[in-house]
Amino acid sequence: MPADPPDRLPQATIVPPKRARFSVIWIIPILAAVVAIGIAVQRILSQGPTITIVFTAAEGIEANKTFIKYKDVNIGQVTAVRLTNDYSKVEVTAKIEKHAAGLIVEDAKFWVVRPRITLSGVSGLSTLLSGNYIGFEAGKSDNSQSTFIGLDEAPVVAGQAGRQYTLIARDLGSLDVGSPIYYRRLPVGQVTGYSLTSDGTGVQVKIFINSPYDRFVYPSTRFWNASGIEASITAEGVSVHTESLTALLVGGLAFDLPPFAPRESAAVPNATFTLYDDRLVAMKAPDPIARQSVLYFNESLRGLSVGAPVTFLGLNAGEVTSVGLEIDTENAIVKPRVTITFYPERVMAFADAKSRKIIGPISSVDQTRRLQFMRRLIEERGLRAQLKSGSLLTGQLYVAFDFHPGTPKVKLDLDQPTPVLPTVPSDLANLEAKLGSIVDKIDHMPLEAIGNDVKKDLESLDQTLVSVRKLVTNADNELVPGLKRDIDELHKTLQTAERAMANANTSLLESNAPAQQDLRDALQEFARAARSLRVLLDELERQPSSVIRGKIEPTGGAK
Amino acid sequence: MTTVVASAAKQGMVSCLTCQLLMRPANMAEPGHCPRCGARVVVRRHHSIQYTWALVIAAAICYIPANVLPVLETSAFGSTEADTIMGGVVYLYQSGSWPLALIVLVASVMIPLGKLLALGYLLVSVQRGWAKNERDRARIYRMVELIGRWSMLDVFVDAFTVALVQLSPLMSVAPGPGVVFFMAVVVLTMLAAESFDPRLIWDAAERQGTVN
Repeated sequence: MPADPPDRLPQATIVPPKRARFSVIWIIPILAAVVAIGIAVQRILSQGPTITIVFTAAEGIEANKTFIKYKDVNIGQVTAVRLTNDYSKVEVTAKIEKHAAGLIVEDAKFWVVRPRITLSGVSGLSTLLSGNYIGFEAGKSDNSQSTFIGLDEAPVVAGQAGRQYTLIARDLGSLDVGSPIYYRRLPVGQVTGYSLTSDGTGVQVKIFINSPYDRFVYPSTRFWNASGIEASITAEGVSVHTESLTALLVGGLAFDLPPFAPRESAAVPNATFTLYDDRLVAMKAPDPIARQSVLYFNESLRGLSVGAPVTFLGLNAGEVTSVGLEIDTENAIVKPRVTITFYPERVMAFADAKSRKIIGPISSVDQTRRLQFMRRLIEERGLRAQLKSGSLLTGQLYVAFDFHPGTPKVKLDLDQPTPVLPTVPSDLANLEAKLGSIVDKIDHMPLEAIGNDVKKDLESLDQTLVSVRKLVTNADNELVPGLKRDIDELHKTLQTAERAMANANTSLLESNAPAQQDLRDALQEFARAARSLRVLLDELERQPSSVIRGKIEPTGGAK
Repeated sequence: MTTVVASAAKQGMVSCLTCQLLMRPANMAEPGHCPRCGARVVVRRHHSIQYTWALVIAAAICYIPANVLPVLETSAFGSTEADTIMGGVVYLYQSGSWPLALIVLVASVMIPLGKLLALGYLLVSVQRGWAKNERDRARIYRMVELIGRWSMLDVFVDAFTVALVQLSPLMSVAPGPGVVFFMAVVVLTMLAAESFDPRLIWDAAERQGTVN
């Protein structure tokens, strides 16, 4: 064992374990940082554009709660809602998701979706639970944009194929946005908007016809208002017409091609049409030739309205265009004056082919011959206008042209542009006149004198009756008691007689009654006497002389 | 003024962190194991400051998404709403229950932040060798350690809500990504508090000999 002093030996040094400069623990913060930065980067990368939409009101829009939806898919979220600088509108800032960024182009549309309940349908019902959201419709442009003006109302047709047209109407009627449009009672479109025309004289109704049906809208298609029940009371009676129950409730439009119109290619988009009041008016064929004339009726025009039909031999040939009065202050004459429009084409439509060929050129071209024809009809054939009651129920009148051969001749002035045509009083007026004359006659009867006479007669009759009653009373008082007495006596007499008869019965009629025996004997006696008399008579017949000469014995016969 | 006793390490001794037995180490560099409970004995925790720093920094990083990302995604009647912690606080305050808002604000925002700041302060003070306010710093450390185990309250509430409110087509609640980060903040701060060796607070004073 070596004995080296311990302090001579070198002391081992303690080297503290070398500290690792970077411990493994630093992985944790690095990992955390990587994850956090990763999330941040992902968030930034997934962020789409931020857009600003200006709405007139921000009903139900809340920052961080309201979404922008396209086809029910969230494509963004509202991040801020504030007023515009002039405090008149609301500026909504929204973040659009990256995948939808391509949709945000300049003609994209935004609107606030809220529940809309109309009779024609319910929309936006989901917003009742989820709150309002912003609806979106993609545009077709390629230019992106970041500031938009929001629509006040949801566009009625979003993303549908079809065509838009404009209708000019006199008034809106019961139409509203969303009112259905019918083609042969098929709902094919709807009203998308309306506005007053710039001059305020009508209403422009924007309509949208869905795709397969828009090709049935021709340039000469007629549109009419099918709103509600269309009841028209005319001289032709009451007619009720409606398109559908929905149209009945919320109004609607209908269109069709009139039978006379040519079937051309479909109308161009945004074409303008006239909106007619009803189907009848809309489908009316245009009347190329219209002739005005004036009629003076000397009777009440109550029940005759503008538009009332004018008939020719019962066929619809025109209409009343004005009903008025002509006042002549000089002579104190007030004449009911009716202006009518006569459409010769309508009557000619009823003519057979041969006469149509002849009358066609006369009616439209040859003025002289037309007037001559008319003059002859009126002067020779007695064509007259007459007011007739179309319906007893409504009392509507119409003007009827018929032949009245017996009427007094008139001189016609056909040279003025609106000739005055002759009229005859209406049947009703005739009837009234006749009734009047009857009443007049009754009026002229000496009814008072007759009445007086009758009264006198009645008075004397009354007196007579009084006397008779007196007589009867007397008779009652005086005659009846005597009569009663007489009757009693008669009764007694009859009883006596009856008794006598009974006696006679027993004395005469019984077989062993003494009187009957006697009578039998007497009759036998009488029979014998009769026999003797017959012998005598025989004798006398044979020998009439025997009365003088006596009886001759038959033995000697010839003595 | 506190009486400062020279540390065990200074006198060549070490105590077991598990059973608190005071012993003489095998040597100061490698103290060996506790003869009583068998736990590994350390004079000072290894890499305490570095570990703590790493965890505190990781927690601080996670604190940002925890507050920015939604912790709860509520979808009711078709509309989804994502709420962050601060959003919840604002909502509670606006709906009038400010005490609740205050509780959430303190428990979910301020306490994690406070913990991070407190740990940061302790680390800086130890690294710089500050020899002042040792007792206060020790108190801060105890507080951080105490609060740590209660900080998952938010996560529990979130988990309960998600589990309970599942009225499927009408209303449903799902946890947001924020809650994961919030949980990370809590766990990381707890680990940081654990890895910090509070004995380091006094070492500086001892080195300077100005223990007061």
